[in-house]
Amino acid sequence: MSKRVFQVNSFTPTAQADGVLAAGSYAALKPGSSTDIMKISKMFLQGQASSSAVTATMLARSSTLGITPTALALPNTDGPVSPSATAVTTVPVPYVAAGTNPNRSSPVSVARLALNFNAYGGIVIWQTNPGTDEEWFMIGNSTVNNSEVNLSSANVGSAGPISADFFYEVL
Amino acid sequence: MPKKMGYIMVDHRASPGLPENIARLAGYDPKLCGEGKLYEADTATCSHCKAVVVLNPDRTRERARCFECDNKEGHYICDGCDFLRRQPDYVHAPFIKFIDDHMAVAANPYSAKKLPAAPGVTLGSPPKLLLSDE
Repeated sequence: MSKRVFQVNSFTPTAQADGVLAAGSYAALKPGSSTDIMKISKMFLQGQASSSAVTATMLARSSTLGITPTALALPNTDGPVSPSATAVTTVPVPYVAAGTNPNRSSPVSVARLALNFNAYGGIVIWQTNPGTDEEWFMIGNSTVNNSEVNLSSANVGSAGPISADFFYEVL
Repeated sequence: MPKKMGYIMVDHRASPGLPENIARLAGYDPKLCGEGKLYEADTATCSHCKAVVVLNPDRTRERARCFECDNKEGHYICDGCDFLRRQPDYVHAPFIKFIDDHMAVAANPYSAKKLPAAPGVTLGSPPKLLLSDE
């Protein structure tokens, strides 16, 4: 399938301990079906704070997946990069709020990717070698600590507003 | 190192940057994360658990490679998976095997099996072990 971008225009990933994430303080993404495989190939975070704000964002897996995700609404977007892309069989599920928000309490044995930066003028880019098995995998739509990824902030510092872009592909 | 590495860039050229302790938390070089600095580093992905590791350029210890995953150059595996690999009862478990096992159940409507659990490293190790590469 074609490359897609899940873009969150502006949100504050409030510093919070592991647990159920507060609505609006995270961006989450998971496949739309149990037989889908998704790969994140790039993350692009841009700080929007108007004063110094140490923001300890991290890409983590959900130990309990979000239930009844709220449909994504503008100004946030998700769609194929190419306007002539083939439609995906099952649409992925990007969201920033849900009836029951995802839980970020995966065990220490499940890795996270720290993307700390200062949201006052800071930028973070994490890029894998596209098309390889180096990318961040999500398998199916129900496996805990695997199927769903969330971008949120550790309980460190005082996060400022940021925008986030997930570059990914549905296989 | 494997030819398929990733890349991380933390740009504070127009920002006050990060305090040293916060930079270290993420496995960054604090000297390159202060005001006006640009930090760039390679990352590698473990082929067994898919952890992404920010590589420490000052590391002198050998990094593990799995020659069962790539029999030419060996594929990078993280320190946690390297520890597991050295256990006497270890069975080679690359991430692609988890995908196979998952799809064998999820794509078969007649399968009575449960979906396999996600792979992870059960070391009881500090999370930092899987984030940095010291």
